[in-house]
Amino acid sequence: MLKDITLGQFFPGDSVVHRLDPRVKMLMMVAYIVVVFLVKGFLGYLVLFAFLAGATLLSHIKPKFLLRSIKPILFIVVMTFVLNVLFTRGEKLLVEWGILHIYWEGVRFAVFMSLRLVFLLLGTSLLTLTTSPMALTDALERLLKPLKAIRFPVHEMAMMMTIALRFIPTLLEETDKIMKAQTARGADFDSGNLFARAKAMVPLLVPLFVGAFRRADELAMAMEARCYHGGGNRTRMKVLKVQRIDWYASGVMAGTLCLVLLERLL
Amino acid sequence: MPVEARDLTHTYNVDSPFESTALDKVSFSIADGEFVGIIGHTGSGKSTLIQHLNGLLKPTGGTVIVDGLDLMAKETDKKEVRRRIGLVFQYPEYQLFEETVFQDIAFGPKNLGLDKEEIERRVRDACKLVDLDCDQVGEKSPFELSGGQKRRVAIAGVLAMEPGILILDEPTAGLDPYGRDSILNLVRLWHERGKTILMVSHSMDDVARLADRILVMNHGRLEMQGTPDEIFSQEARLRSIGLDVPAVTTLAGELNRLGFDLPPHIHTMEDMERALASALGGRPAAKKTEEATAHA
Repeated sequence: MLKDITLGQFFPGDSVVHRLDPRVKMLMMVAYIVVVFLVKGFLGYLVLFAFLAGATLLSHIKPKFLLRSIKPILFIVVMTFVLNVLFTRGEKLLVEWGILHIYWEGVRFAVFMSLRLVFLLLGTSLLTLTTSPMALTDALERLLKPLKAIRFPVHEMAMMMTIALRFIPTLLEETDKIMKAQTARGADFDSGNLFARAKAMVPLLVPLFVGAFRRADELAMAMEARCYHGGGNRTRMKVLKVQRIDWYASGVMAGTLCLVLLERLL
Repeated sequence: MPVEARDLTHTYNVDSPFESTALDKVSFSIADGEFVGIIGHTGSGKSTLIQHLNGLLKPTGGTVIVDGLDLMAKETDKKEVRRRIGLVFQYPEYQLFEETVFQDIAFGPKNLGLDKEEIERRVRDACKLVDLDCDQVGEKSPFELSGGQKRRVAIAGVLAMEPGILILDEPTAGLDPYGRDSILNLVRLWHERGKTILMVSHSMDDVARLADRILVMNHGRLEMQGTPDEIFSQEARLRSIGLDVPAVTTLAGELNRLGFDLPPHIHTMEDMERALASALGGRPAAKKTEEATAHA
């Protein structure tokens, strides 16, 4: 149950997409999101699909694995589709059944909205699958650096994110372990009414919180023992460098953006 | 209550690139009242194995039969199996959660639906077994206790369910010598009540001393099984899979190389004492014998 979470799960590899500078990838992601919202017709989606398919192919990630990331939002996609089909008014009536009126424009709009959601999720999933959380926060820290001028604690934020991301798998593992231990003691997490279930969470949550605080304490101690004192004067072990391949990738992204813009204007 | 595993296989992350086989066709059976030690290098599948024995993990293939109950059969009540098999996880002290020690130990029995008197009796009995004074410690918060005490409370919580089969996953990990001895002692006391014990351990010495039979795991397969004598006489094979023989067995080998004539199968301190006493006792120097017995 806890293992089914693909979103945000880094998938180690050595493909071209993996090796791109995380900053470039992040900016490309911003551009990609803009493109997704700019697309107006099927031609645009075709361009977008070509871009995404190409990137997926280059990343050596199995399409099946990527598609799995849609699962958590499948319900939202279906809801969006149904609501748009039912409640969009237009001129060309397709079906009339009682109080239900389905228009051609409604279907068109529903398909577009659903596609938009799916493309958004697939794109962002591809980013998180090919970029380690560490690289992502690193990139975020560099990109947000200008905010330091207004005393925004960029480094501290990035460090907090890094730590939070680092401990998600640990906490999941711990939850699994405590759950099993309490089940072995006869605890029952899956039956009974809402109240009984909420009460059954206590034997799980208390050890989990105690463990989280213990870990936080130990980590703080270990960081201080290694003289961590925030962001001032810190140098990096891995200095990010924009290479030729990053320019190529940006070029492709810009091309996609232009094509979609063109489609929108025509 | 016999336990039987038949072709038990478990694969993690099936159909994903992280797929890995943790158990590969493991078969064995354990008779009533046996003390079985499970040894194996880190990641050899020991923990995965024991989680199958009370239905916490579902095997990808094969099955486990506990006292005639097939764990793979749909109609088998998992709760009934868990009542019969107590499982003490690694570092069990991290599962404590109640306000008082008494309530924490009572959690298991309460889940079994026992009445108040019976719960009280079991908690007191479990406290006595793990050498905790129920009246003194019972009303304290479990988080106030020392590490060793916490672990004993957690084990008491499982013992209070009075399982016929007790499985322990490295119960002595991270404890000082005194804490270790007290845990091993309570495991032995429980065994003397006629209960079946399965203990996963990294300490060859502990396993040699306590177990009637040993299962050796290697890369998800059952590499060997047999009595301590049978297992620990195959030193080279054990070393090749990242394991070892008990320290006294190594010592006996060294002594024999230096000219002693000690018998084979020395795996515990008691074996060694007996062997040395008789080896030295056969010599004219009586003083040495006294020394040996004094150390004994």
